[in-house]
Amino acid sequence: MRLKEIQRTAHQAWSPAGHHPIYLALGTSAQQLDASFNTTAALEIFEMDFSDPSLDMQLKGSLPTSNRLHSIVWVNFGMGADGAGGRLVAGSENGTLTVYNPHEIMSSGAEAVVGQSDKHTGPVRALDFNPFQNNLLASGANDSEIYIWDLNNLSSPMTPGAKTQPAEDISVVSWNRQVQHILASANPSGKAVVWDLRKNEPIIKISDHSNRMHCSGMLWHPDVATQLVLASEDDRLPVIQMWDLRFATSPLKVLENHTRGILSISWSQADSELLLSSAKDNRILCWNPNTGEVIYELPTTNQWCFDVQWCPRNPALLSTASFDGRITVYSVMGGSLKAQQQSTADKISSSFDSMDPFGTGQVLPPLQVPQPTVQDTIVPPLKKPPKWVRRPVGASFAFGGKLITFENPKLPPVQSPQPVPRQVFLSQVTTETEFLQRSRELQAALQSGSFNSYCQAKIQNAKSDAEQDIWKFLLVNFEDEARIKFLRLLGFSKDELEIKISKCLGKSFQHNGHGVDAKDLAEKMQRLSTERSDEAAAVGDAKTSGSVSPADFFSQTPKENSNFQIPVSCDTDGLISQALLVGNFEGAVDLCLNDGRYAEAILLSISGGEELLKKTQQKYLTKQKNSISMLISSVVTQNWRDIVQSCELENWKEALAALLTYAHPEDFARLCDTLGSRLEHEGTEKRCLQACLCYICSGNVEKLVECWALHRDCSSPLGLEDLVEKVMMLRKSIERLRNSEVAVQSTILAEKLTCYAGILAAEGSLSTAMTYLPENSNQPGITMLRDRLFHAQGEAPIGQQPQNSFNRVNVSTAKPTPAPQIPAPKAQTMGQYQPSPAPQVAAPPQPPMPSVFTPQAAPANTGPGLPPSSHVLPPSASRPAMRPSYPQHPAPAPGFLPHQPFQPEPMPMGAPSTFPPPGPSMPAANLSGPPLPPSSSTPGGLPPMPSPGVPPTGFMPPTSLPSGLMPPSSQPGAPVPMYPGGLHNQGPAPPMASSPFAPLGSGYPQGGPGAPAVKPFPAATVAPPPTGLQEGWNDPPAVRGGPRKKKVPENYTPPAPITAPVMGFSMEAPQPQDSAQVPPGAPQEPSVQLLQQLPAERVEQKEIPAEHMVLKSTFDSLVQRCQLAAGDPQTKRKLDDAGKRLGYLYDKLREQSLSHNILNGLHEISRCVASQNYQRGLEVHTQVVSSSNFSEISAFMPILKVVMTIANKLGV
Amino acid sequence: MVSVINTVDTSHEDMIHDAQMDYYGTRLATCSSDRTVKIFDVRNGGQILVADLRGHEGPVWQVAWAHPMFGNILASCSYDRKVIIWKEENGAWDKMYEYMGHESSVNSVCWGPYDFGLILACGSSDGAISLLTFTGDQQWDVKKISNAHTIGCNAVSWAPAVVPGSLIDQPSGQKPNYVKRFVSGGCDNLVKLWKEEDGQWKEDQKLEAHSDWVRDVGWAPSIGLPTSTIASCSQDGRVFIWTCDDPAGNTWTAKLLHKFNDVVWHVSWSITGNILAVSGGDNKVTLWKESMDGQWACISDVSKGQGAVSAITDTQQSEQ
Repeated sequence: MRLKEIQRTAHQAWSPAGHHPIYLALGTSAQQLDASFNTTAALEIFEMDFSDPSLDMQLKGSLPTSNRLHSIVWVNFGMGADGAGGRLVAGSENGTLTVYNPHEIMSSGAEAVVGQSDKHTGPVRALDFNPFQNNLLASGANDSEIYIWDLNNLSSPMTPGAKTQPAEDISVVSWNRQVQHILASANPSGKAVVWDLRKNEPIIKISDHSNRMHCSGMLWHPDVATQLVLASEDDRLPVIQMWDLRFATSPLKVLENHTRGILSISWSQADSELLLSSAKDNRILCWNPNTGEVIYELPTTNQWCFDVQWCPRNPALLSTASFDGRITVYSVMGGSLKAQQQSTADKISSSFDSMDPFGTGQVLPPLQVPQPTVQDTIVPPLKKPPKWVRRPVGASFAFGGKLITFENPKLPPVQSPQPVPRQVFLSQVTTETEFLQRSRELQAALQSGSFNSYCQAKIQNAKSDAEQDIWKFLLVNFEDEARIKFLRLLGFSKDELEIKISKCLGKSFQHNGHGVDAKDLAEKMQRLSTERSDEAAAVGDAKTSGSVSPADFFSQTPKENSNFQIPVSCDTDGLISQALLVGNFEGAVDLCLNDGRYAEAILLSISGGEELLKKTQQKYLTKQKNSISMLISSVVTQNWRDIVQSCELENWKEALAALLTYAHPEDFARLCDTLGSRLEHEGTEKRCLQACLCYICSGNVEKLVECWALHRDCSSPLGLEDLVEKVMMLRKSIERLRNSEVAVQSTILAEKLTCYAGILAAEGSLSTAMTYLPENSNQPGITMLRDRLFHAQGEAPIGQQPQNSFNRVNVSTAKPTPAPQIPAPKAQTMGQYQPSPAPQVAAPPQPPMPSVFTPQAAPANTGPGLPPSSHVLPPSASRPAMRPSYPQHPAPAPGFLPHQPFQPEPMPMGAPSTFPPPGPSMPAANLSGPPLPPSSSTPGGLPPMPSPGVPPTGFMPPTSLPSGLMPPSSQPGAPVPMYPGGLHNQGPAPPMASSPFAPLGSGYPQGGPGAPAVKPFPAATVAPPPTGLQEGWNDPPAVRGGPRKKKVPENYTPPAPITAPVMGFSMEAPQPQDSAQVPPGAPQEPSVQLLQQLPAERVEQKEIPAEHMVLKSTFDSLVQRCQLAAGDPQTKRKLDDAGKRLGYLYDKLREQSLSHNILNGLHEISRCVASQNYQRGLEVHTQVVSSSNFSEISAFMPILKVVMTIANKLGV
Repeated sequence: MVSVINTVDTSHEDMIHDAQMDYYGTRLATCSSDRTVKIFDVRNGGQILVADLRGHEGPVWQVAWAHPMFGNILASCSYDRKVIIWKEENGAWDKMYEYMGHESSVNSVCWGPYDFGLILACGSSDGAISLLTFTGDQQWDVKKISNAHTIGCNAVSWAPAVVPGSLIDQPSGQKPNYVKRFVSGGCDNLVKLWKEEDGQWKEDQKLEAHSDWVRDVGWAPSIGLPTSTIASCSQDGRVFIWTCDDPAGNTWTAKLLHKFNDVVWHVSWSITGNILAVSGGDNKVTLWKESMDGQWACISDVSKGQGAVSAITDTQQSEQ
């Protein structure tokens, strides 16, 4: 295909291969004259600008010359490092050899001639430069003259040897392309001589003795040192002979196709299978000289072409010089001439427009050019694909870090008979060695469950203290008594502290002011109140000992003080005693406070009732401003929020310790998180690490990830590995706590895990990558990766083939597909997973329940709120998904209650199940009762009031179960000894680990070691989709593993053997605030769990026997009254819960399963409540509890007490 | 480490010019100067020849797999000026479409991101680039950019589907307003970026740095960063990495990855876009990775599918 053209009669020289951009130098030819008989000569340099589609060459420089040329070459010599420059060497008709600097020609032109010699005696027709030594140039002229020039110094050229005789013209010289000291020359008579410059003589002469070979051209083979071609100008023998010097008697091959003498040949240096020749038959042919085949014929004009030259730099280009005065540049790659011809026509036309050749003074009409379309000739490319387009090597990546490579052996010039193996290598590329190693370790730990040892190893190898701390905390989560160990990690050892305290007590009874012993202090205060209530009668004695600390006071209360006076004077003492005498506690307390007698004030207020006590406490605490008062205040009021919200961040350890010690299970996680987010907010890296520790305590994976990502680089594989290791361990510990899988919920975590899986995939660990991909996400990126991983693993793992992450588009050839086939990008990704994975689909559709309460609850079915319908679901169906979100969600809307009268109430999950039902025998009936307030499940624990005034000695149901009863796995966070008040509903605990309630956790939103608590299943709310399980995917969170728990035997009853130990223990255990009925870490949910396990048929309800209806009405109305009066949300929550818990009582009543003793007690309590004598009611309560089977009453008695306590406080 | 996990003996009778795995990495397509295209099932280390596609009348330069959402579709291009789109139908491979719109060797084919539907870019030695879009009903819409690269186009590569302005994958929602872009390299030494506007393809950028034919171009997969990255390699031995942080896509800066002593034929990005495989003359394959400080370093020399990997990022990581 013709690319460029210009009207010149000239010899041509391409710029060397290294030259950029590509130039073409043209020197006026000596052998032709154009019609103008113009004899001026010039040397011109044109740039080939192929981005310009026109045929124009761009003139870069021009230099008039005195002589016209016979030959011209462009040599590398003098070329700059930038690949520009070099030298032009021209041989003229008068024998002058001139060296030009092309750079000068293109600029000023002043110093363009850098050397000149007129040593030759005749026209210099032959020039060639040495390909190895760019300063060496050979020239040939008439009279057998051959000179070898050193371009550095033209003064003394050498000769290759003695002149051949007889003397004749040298028409061509050529350097060997392989051996640098070999030169060949040829003359028109047909002889070729090969010279060895080291020997300075000809070493071989080539001639076929036909006498018809008139050599117009001679070229060495580009690759084979011993081969050369000779072209004959003789019309009688228009051939190209290929010679091999090893067999120099006759040509190796004769290329015959031209019909008239050959004028010029050019051998492609880029592909030795391409040899150009132009001849007097007006044709330009391209040969494969190795086969003798013509593989291309240039479309040319009907003119002789006396010079053809391959472009050294662009192997597809060649230029031709024709006798009709055209220099043309062609491409051998074919193409259409359309564009060029159009522009040519334009050019011709416009050039005529501008002139007035006939002097008529009139502008000619535009030239009519033939329609370019008519000439739209398509020029095919070379028949044989040239070597430079044959890609010999390749490497491409594929999914999973695979690299596909192939290479082709360099073809030997002579084809070897042996077939070459054509192989493609599939390789695995792994670049992250350390990452993979650590990932394997993590994977091994996850699979074997050897979390402890994994964490241990991490602790040992930790590079920094911070890292070590984090791993220590993570480790603790896998151990029992996590809270104690957390405390220890924070630097608080209970044992050590006891020693310190006793030491301290031994010397002088003063607490050491150190924050830590606040707990002990609190215990003492509680003990104080407990014992105090035992000895209520001794109140009067107390007032004399104001200066003695309470404990001391009691230990010393002297019985022998037989006689004393009661002052009735008008001083403070007197007023106090008078006030006491008339029962004006309030006044007495005020007096004491006013007088700074805090101990007395407190003692008195204890007798003065709950409210007074509280008031007094408040007054005391507001007056006290020392360093521990805040702590004491928090301990007393159970107000930990203030601590975490306002403590100095420096004291984060202490704050966390306090939480570990005191916080309610349902509050713990949130409080930890609050503390954590404050630390995180600070922004420094140190604080963030501390925040991470808080999140580890609370088990908040999401926050841990977010916080971690704030300051750590998670983009590098190892950075991500650091994070994922921790996250996985924390998740595992939470899963262990809950005994169910924790699904990934937060976006950031999903993102990190996806990223992690992506890296694993890229490193070839496909199956491992699969395990980290968040399973419940339908994020396009995640599902696509999942799909890809799945298919990439070859043999499909048994089971679910993930739905394709994109809609298949039918592009079938057979059936035409509708036009709108082109998929809307997003629609594809969205639609995926519509069909959920197989097992899910297999689940029976929604049972025909005419209720609003469609199964969307299923995903959340681990909670007691589970509708019976969910029992129909095969276990696998409800592998739900996510971890309940943190911290608490509002309970499901009550809207569906009416339809579900028999349901175990749907919302218990939300409520802190402080007093869980005793067992499965109590379907929650309360829902059928008066409308319950929407059980706002917001946790929040019990009202923050200690009840020292209540003499609870009789009954301590909740008090500490022997820790042995607790499955360690389910409550690492609950160090029993620290929470004597806890674990009351421990009844069913032992079987938990492996049993139906294993799920204990599932009810716990937070696996937080210390404090799981309440739970949120937001899923069950209002979701309407009738599509069965579908919404398991749509609904956000749900906890996995729920269904497993359904295996409960139908008539399961919780073991009841704990009573004795419980009672025994409870008697002596000092009771902390019984408002804090639920100590941190106590598992409360199990009994709730039972509800859900109730077989569906148990839903029918009996009536409560008429004689017991009064209990229901009394208690319900009590709860209602309290609800009306209650102000703070915590109390409200308690009451909400109470309504529910009381349902268990009513169930028992319906079943008539309560013993006489208990029933009598309940009626007595009911009477007390009716008369608003709550104190008495509580006493009776205590009696009942202490004399009854714990398991029988544990579901409702505690809440009864709570309600009465609240009622008492509220005065309703 | 680069370690051979499977050596596929293709039994091609002449030079292999391309070898590409499908989307999942389970099937290998090869093409050769022997005018054939072969497909192997290479799952689990096997190498089962599943198809030997004959239809080209010249060396087959490249093959390209379409995204699997369209089924099993393979495009091939050849010196015979043809592009053939092959499709597997009920286990049998057959021609689905044959495009003969080029006047010279078709050197490169590349499928667009699946978001755009089934669209194939073809670069030819006739200097033109064709865009074939499947419009259903066995119809293909053809758009041709004439004279995209004078003397010839050697390579085409699509930009990942990103929304202009954000350059980050957008959350699902209504159909995003993707802009179709691709890059091409040619014998005019240029790297050119093309953009579709109002259904017409327009030259968007012209990147000049190479001093000889651009042999291959590769637009790196999107890794969620708002940076576009292109690798180009050339006859001049140079490999450039072009990056553009500008959301409008107008400012491209070139960084020289390396200057080899021989022609560089091919560049290929890893799926995650962090490693570049460069294959040059003298049968050399090298792997390159960008270090934290933005320098490109050779991490591996691969020979016959084997090679060690040096960790260039160690220093950076230990600093953390």
